[in-house]
Amino acid sequence: MTTTNTSSASVPSGPASSAPGDSSPATPRKRTRRLKPGRILAWVVMVVILLITLLPFYWILRTALSTNPSLLSNPASLTPPEFTTGAFQRVLGMQSTEDALAEGGSGSALNFWRYLLNSVMVATLVTVCQVLFSAMAAYAFSRLRWRGRDKVFALFLAGLMVPTVFTLLPNFVLIQQLGLIDTVLGIALPTMFMTPFAVFFLRQFFLGIPMEIEEAARLDGSSRIGTFFRVILPMAGAPIATLSILTYMTAWNDYFWPLMVSYTDSSRVLTVALGVFRAQSPQSGTDWAGLMAASLIAALPMFLLFLAFARRIVNSIGFSGIK
Amino acid sequence: MTRKTFTRARRSRLLSATAVLAVGALALSGCGQREGDSEASSTIDYWLWDTQQLPAYQQCADLFEQQHPEYNVNITQTGWDDYWQRLTAGFLAGTGPDVFINHPSRYPQYADLEVLLPLDEQDATANQQASDYQDGLMELWTGSDGHRYGSPKDWDSIALFYNSDYLADGGVSPEELGSLEWNPEDGGSFEAAIAHLTVDDNGVRGDEPGFDKDNVAVYGLGLSDPGGGNTGQGQWGSFANGAGWEVTDEPFWGTEYNYDDPALHETLDWYFGLSDKGYMPKYGQFNQDDGTLSQLMSGSVAVVSDGSWMVPAYSSSENFEVGTARMPTGPDGTAPSTMSGVADSISADADNPEAAAEFVAFMGSQECQSVVAEAGVVFPARTDSVERTEEIWTEQGFDTSAFTDPVEEGDAFFLPITSHGADVAALTIPAFQEIWADRPPSAEVLDRINPAINDLFIADKEAEDADSGN
Amino acid sequence: MTVLTQQPDRPPSGRPSSPDGKRRRRPDDTRTALFFIAPAALGLAVFLAWPLIRGIWLSFTNYNLLTDPEFIGLANYRRLIADPIFWDSMLTTVWYVVLNIGIQTAAALTIALLMYRLTQSTLLRGLVLTPYLVSNVVAGLVWVWILDTQFGVGNQILGWLGIDPIGFFTDSAWAIPTIALVNVWRHMGYTALLIFAGLQTLPASVYEAARLDGSGEIRTFFSVTMPLLRPIMALVLIMTVIGSFQVFDTVAVTTNGGPANATNVLQLYIYDLAFDRFQFGYASAMSVGLLIVLGIITVIQYRMTRADSSDLA
Repeated sequence: MTTTNTSSASVPSGPASSAPGDSSPATPRKRTRRLKPGRILAWVVMVVILLITLLPFYWILRTALSTNPSLLSNPASLTPPEFTTGAFQRVLGMQSTEDALAEGGSGSALNFWRYLLNSVMVATLVTVCQVLFSAMAAYAFSRLRWRGRDKVFALFLAGLMVPTVFTLLPNFVLIQQLGLIDTVLGIALPTMFMTPFAVFFLRQFFLGIPMEIEEAARLDGSSRIGTFFRVILPMAGAPIATLSILTYMTAWNDYFWPLMVSYTDSSRVLTVALGVFRAQSPQSGTDWAGLMAASLIAALPMFLLFLAFARRIVNSIGFSGIK
Repeated sequence: MTRKTFTRARRSRLLSATAVLAVGALALSGCGQREGDSEASSTIDYWLWDTQQLPAYQQCADLFEQQHPEYNVNITQTGWDDYWQRLTAGFLAGTGPDVFINHPSRYPQYADLEVLLPLDEQDATANQQASDYQDGLMELWTGSDGHRYGSPKDWDSIALFYNSDYLADGGVSPEELGSLEWNPEDGGSFEAAIAHLTVDDNGVRGDEPGFDKDNVAVYGLGLSDPGGGNTGQGQWGSFANGAGWEVTDEPFWGTEYNYDDPALHETLDWYFGLSDKGYMPKYGQFNQDDGTLSQLMSGSVAVVSDGSWMVPAYSSSENFEVGTARMPTGPDGTAPSTMSGVADSISADADNPEAAAEFVAFMGSQECQSVVAEAGVVFPARTDSVERTEEIWTEQGFDTSAFTDPVEEGDAFFLPITSHGADVAALTIPAFQEIWADRPPSAEVLDRINPAINDLFIADKEAEDADSGN
Repeated sequence: MTVLTQQPDRPPSGRPSSPDGKRRRRPDDTRTALFFIAPAALGLAVFLAWPLIRGIWLSFTNYNLLTDPEFIGLANYRRLIADPIFWDSMLTTVWYVVLNIGIQTAAALTIALLMYRLTQSTLLRGLVLTPYLVSNVVAGLVWVWILDTQFGVGNQILGWLGIDPIGFFTDSAWAIPTIALVNVWRHMGYTALLIFAGLQTLPASVYEAARLDGSGEIRTFFSVTMPLLRPIMALVLIMTVIGSFQVFDTVAVTTNGGPANATNVLQLYIYDLAFDRFQFGYASAMSVGLLIVLGIITVIQYRMTRADSSDLA
């Protein structure tokens, strides 16, 4: 069992992956399913952990469906103290200023749809380009033979060791010089071409595709490039989908880089908008209902993605280096 | 051979696909680029942060457009925090405004970075006369290099805002509140009044036996931001001045801060001590972002000190009347008030500096300033317009002499202007938070940071000497 | 471009193509490879390698983002060493990392072991992962609201238990632990799944043996599971510690460094210097400092991993 691999080492938020899948886990299951006290205790602990994990989400929903004044007078009520969908309407710009003020909102319009669109554009740009380009590179590193291949690959691997924090400031200068400050492209660009992790991850997978399949395609007159798009990519559908989801999530949830690059509505993404929303509290105090509604809407696409691909995402979390 | 061409064809198709993708991305982001650079020379981009003032300045802009049909003014309003971020980005990316409202705490840094146009070098603004404006305003906006970087728009000073219901309940008249004195030893009549206006959950007043300082329903004095930037502008700055504290060695462009002055330490220990006694909120009890405005408006406090620019906000109170009273008299016998004011600045990369300067000159003219006065949102910078604001505020029930008397009596003092404002703030803001939150002797905290602050200026001087030595 | 003269041995792939087709393949491959590698290589060079070099260069300048950088030698580094706020900030960050990683690893290990022993349910694993789906920003905001001193349900519950309200984000002693716990909340499920995946790779035979020996659950854990799990834990630690050192989002939206710099973590200080104070050169020097710290930690942890894995191999 080899465990040393640089792969996951410097990917703080980007999950390491490669699915061991549901394939025959080596769990030593008790043959007897008697409910021993230890087992009961274990379940109790598990349930407590689940509650800690999930209750905050209920609290977001409960808060988002209330008016602000009622929240302040009933801070511990388990259900929305004064039920309304006003906060959602407010966030989405569908509430009149008077109603917004009455419910404790700031009354100033929040360009939420714009932020949503920006987030979608950034995450989509990053995901599509990064996965495509990384897959191409991974293919070159795994299936093509060329001079200096291993050296170049080593360079890519070294890239894994550079923490994102260090590239942020110089990349900002670069984006500034490219005139891309405060643009969607400026936010997406640095991660659009590749991440060392994505290249490494896909290379590992491509290595496992039998040569014969590619050879057969090439025999049919397909070029290398044709083979890549028509044979290799479809065969690698599963890991590419996994990588795409993870990349999308990372791009969607990123805050620091967009905060540096984006300043106005034209490029502001949801995470940054939420921070601004928090800072822009109305005179009556923070608009918690609106903030929670906005948080929920900002997280919703990720929840939907998760619902659709839960099994894949869950199973994808593992060690690419461990075989 | 055939395969090769096939590959090449594919490749080029792929390349063009990539190119299309890239172009698409550019187009997508294109919506983020500012439009109409070509016609920019006739459009003046004007930025401001205050929503209350927006209508008045919009009116001024309309007047300007009428008189100068060749120009077109485009006003953008953004909230305070966002405003400075956007401005920074604007300077970095060249997407900033042509003209924007500037703040005294910010402009020295911008002047140092050379992103502002000197107004004394523009035809339209070169001849603005200091005598037309409130005393000291022109000086406030003159940089250490002697150039003028702002055309004054307004001035402000600090006074007490009170909840008249609470005042009546406590049997304190507005006149009494406006003629109190304080001292760092026992707080004087000011502390007595604040204690009396404090009421705990059981209805016991702060100066009565059995007062429960841990369960207070109404605090006598509100506080949300312990530092108010570097000088406690709306908080303790006026008190400290009345105890004889000068922030810096020179009113403008000083190179030495006096945070190590015992007069300041005594003032702060007394002031923040009010929160130990339960007369003022503790740190973190209220959300700092919400400000003292929401503390007063929500009925959580009886009195707050705040700036004249907040009068329109306080005037919107529906449940009770808000009034104003003069800051108390300090140990040195004066009742001072911190003064400041904002101004219009022109960005160094303004598309059409000439047009920008003309617009700025108009905004500082009597024509526009009287519009501002009529709106009753701030004290206009021009002395010939300020009376109208006073009338309007008086009609609304505010005692404007609370703001103007210190100025007329010469007890008002300007917020100091120095270099390294952001660096100083980086040291002082945590320090004042610490003093309020953890309540150590303020001398302990401030004596620690004062040398670090003054080192900033010593380093400057050394660099200068080294330069001139060469 | 020279063509490789020596053909590496390849297993005969049974390609019945013409012999000259095989000869022609090699140069063709190199060019194809260039095409395939170009975008990623561009990205690597422009957004990783170049910034790395440039960042180091800028750390030796007085760059302020608006005027041209001037070389000032080691001045930034001298200032760094003498800057009490930097060292304070470093301590704050380390304190955060210790709390965050310590609690998170313990919690994640517990969850992983519980899941391992109790159920293989994908649903359960999915539920545990939910907090990871939301951004740090959302996680921070939610907990600011739940733990609000006046109106947060957290302090209401404490009130029922007879405990005075705690200023979780406003008390300088509580702020860092609170932020550390918020991030534990967001990341523990994800980390647990990592450990869980590691647990699944452990050979079942060892457990059989332990069971035959009559070893109890707890003894098995300490004598069998833990030693086997050590390399996996080391790997998990490398990933999480480096991420933890770069904490920013949660702090920025909750306390923004306060109260009194109690949560002024390194990234926040760097951001403040670069974008509020325009001291880009100095901020770059601080980034280099952080890079060095991260490098040292990685090397130490890497060594640990290596040693462990060789033990097990």
